[in-house]
Amino acid sequence: MHTKLSRRSFLQMTGVAGIGLAAGCSSGPSSGTATWSMWSSSAAEKKVWADFGKYVEQQLKVKSIATLTPSPGYPTKLDLQLVSGTASLVTALNGTLIPTYAARGAHRPLDDLIAADPDFHLDDFYETSRKISSFNGRTYAIGFDVAPTVMYYNKDLLKKQGVPLPSRTEPMSWATFRDLAKQLTKPGEQYGFTCAPAIDDLVSWIYCAGGNVMSADAGRSTLGDPEAMQALQFVIDLFVKDQVTPPIKNLVTENSLSNFLQGNVAFMQNGPWQVVNARKATFDWDIIPFPAGAAGSTPRVSGSSFAIPSGVREGPQLDLAWKLLKTLTSTGALDIYAKAGRNNPARLSAGSAFQPPPDNLGIVRDILAGKLAGGHAFDVTTNWNQVKQLLGQDLPRTFLGQVTVADAIHGLTPRLDVLMRQHLDTVRQATARKG
Amino acid sequence: MWRRREALTAWLFILPSLIGFLIFTAGPVVAAGAISLLNWNLFSAPTWAGLHNFARLGPDPTFWAALGNTAYFTLVSVPLTILVSLVLALLLNQGLQRIAVFRSLLLLPYATITVAVAFVWIWLYIPHDGLVNAVLGWFGIDGPSWLISDTWAMPALILMSVWKSFGFGMVVFLAGLQAIPQQLYEAGRVDGTSPWNSFRHITLPMLSPALFFVIVTSVIGSFQVFDQALIMTNGGPGTRTTTLVMYIYRTGFENYDQGYAAAQSLVLFAFIVLITTTQFLFQRRLVHYDN
Repeated sequence: MHTKLSRRSFLQMTGVAGIGLAAGCSSGPSSGTATWSMWSSSAAEKKVWADFGKYVEQQLKVKSIATLTPSPGYPTKLDLQLVSGTASLVTALNGTLIPTYAARGAHRPLDDLIAADPDFHLDDFYETSRKISSFNGRTYAIGFDVAPTVMYYNKDLLKKQGVPLPSRTEPMSWATFRDLAKQLTKPGEQYGFTCAPAIDDLVSWIYCAGGNVMSADAGRSTLGDPEAMQALQFVIDLFVKDQVTPPIKNLVTENSLSNFLQGNVAFMQNGPWQVVNARKATFDWDIIPFPAGAAGSTPRVSGSSFAIPSGVREGPQLDLAWKLLKTLTSTGALDIYAKAGRNNPARLSAGSAFQPPPDNLGIVRDILAGKLAGGHAFDVTTNWNQVKQLLGQDLPRTFLGQVTVADAIHGLTPRLDVLMRQHLDTVRQATARKG
Repeated sequence: MWRRREALTAWLFILPSLIGFLIFTAGPVVAAGAISLLNWNLFSAPTWAGLHNFARLGPDPTFWAALGNTAYFTLVSVPLTILVSLVLALLLNQGLQRIAVFRSLLLLPYATITVAVAFVWIWLYIPHDGLVNAVLGWFGIDGPSWLISDTWAMPALILMSVWKSFGFGMVVFLAGLQAIPQQLYEAGRVDGTSPWNSFRHITLPMLSPALFFVIVTSVIGSFQVFDQALIMTNGGPGTRTTTLVMYIYRTGFENYDQGYAAAQSLVLFAFIVLITTTQFLFQRRLVHYDN
């Protein structure tokens, strides 16, 4: 049956549809809903967060709504949500961004909530996770994962070459590592080592050499100090001089995991967060402690956390946010996370759930507990994005042999120092606000 | 009375565009002007900065590098794109067999999203195994490491960009060519005009409005280049392919420095206005309209 639509009816329907659409766009989740934001870039990750959602609904008896965003766009989307007042009650934060968000007042300190809650025990979280989640003496987030960088190795490749497997507990020296990488390299066919040509991977070597990106008070860049320079030169030499790494084809798509998964690379520097992806390898592999430099084996320890935005109102909304945050970081939730092999959970009581393979996965917990080798919390500033961007300009060129390490650092240091001074100003302002 | 009704009708037709312009173009420009005078990280209350954000542009090497790169990109990619578009439009206009098929095929790069095209070109540019260097190898040329080379990263982006965008110009030129009255060519032939002179004295002048339109839109588009550079080189190596829009995005949304990003945006806006105005000044002398 055909119904003739008059112009007036059409306009009325359009108007009603428009109002409905506008209402749909403007209304957020109803109050009493446990909303949380997380980055998620794969089906495996989505499955984990779906299970988290079910767990939240079981525990809190409220509806759980997770906003999942692919990781590269997550910070921008979160910013827009925070500014527009549409952010979730709880938001996931990468540890390197916690000082940035805290200093800008985007998230609230949690100390009052922790102190008022006898059921919550912060000391069940690894110390490095607590450090990563704090800024200026306050706790701004609660960790859900934390882990040191380790060295993955292709067991099959080493066995095939007749090379004895490295110790599972004793970190090898840099000299030994370099010799081994050279020994295992057959140019064009097989390579000794792979890592990302970026500061995120260089810091582990810098920490192991006893250096850092910034001074203890974060007031100046220390990349030009001898320890940091030695570390930078060592890694760059592996690329440029020794040529024990797969050739860099494109700085954007260069990916150490995909290099390693090809099966022709002996060692890969990476975190246990890649275990879930490394399990796709068609060869036998395992992990060992990071090679020890002058300061020992003290690679970077990274982590991620959940935080509550400043816009969450006091009262029932904040109560629900705190309950949700506790649930998302509870042993039960982190067991789901760990069993999926996503990463090492930030809680000591959830640690046993991160199960092999790889066989030697236990070293992750031993390193965090201080029983084996060591780790160094990833030191960042309140303007870490800017520091990272600046370092991302000229450091990759050293991996390509386009500039020397000395020239790159010499050129970057004055601008890094400006950023460090800006960071100190931000910290001073935050301290003044704190009173 | 009739004139008033006609004017009202005209305004009603213009109104949707005008509202869109005011909300999405004029409004943001005015807002950027206001924000450029503030220190604002999106969350803390903004503080007055005066002209400080503009003063920061002078000693900022990345800003100048980005501006230089954008100018380089525009100066090379726009003439190349126009040349390729024009040549292909002329070929299609010469009655190339299966013209609709060719037209569709040639328009495909323009119709494809930049992200997809960029990923394909990353693969084409792989130093040893990529198709570009393989083809160069047939002629005994050892191709460079395109996307990580100081010298070749920007030309590589330009090449990809020309391939991506020539379709638009080609369609506009083809429409322009098909609107040229055939009598003009016939008169030329009667006078014994050579094909080259026919092109110079009939085709080019008659095509000049289309040419002007493509130049203006291409220059504006080139000054706003962002996505392909972000995906293919992330602005590197060093700052060799960092474009102005990429730098503005990073300043505003990664470094949370809204005031400085707004100041950069206004400078970009001023450049585009200046260049477009200059083009319109030349239009009077160089563009031929029927009337």
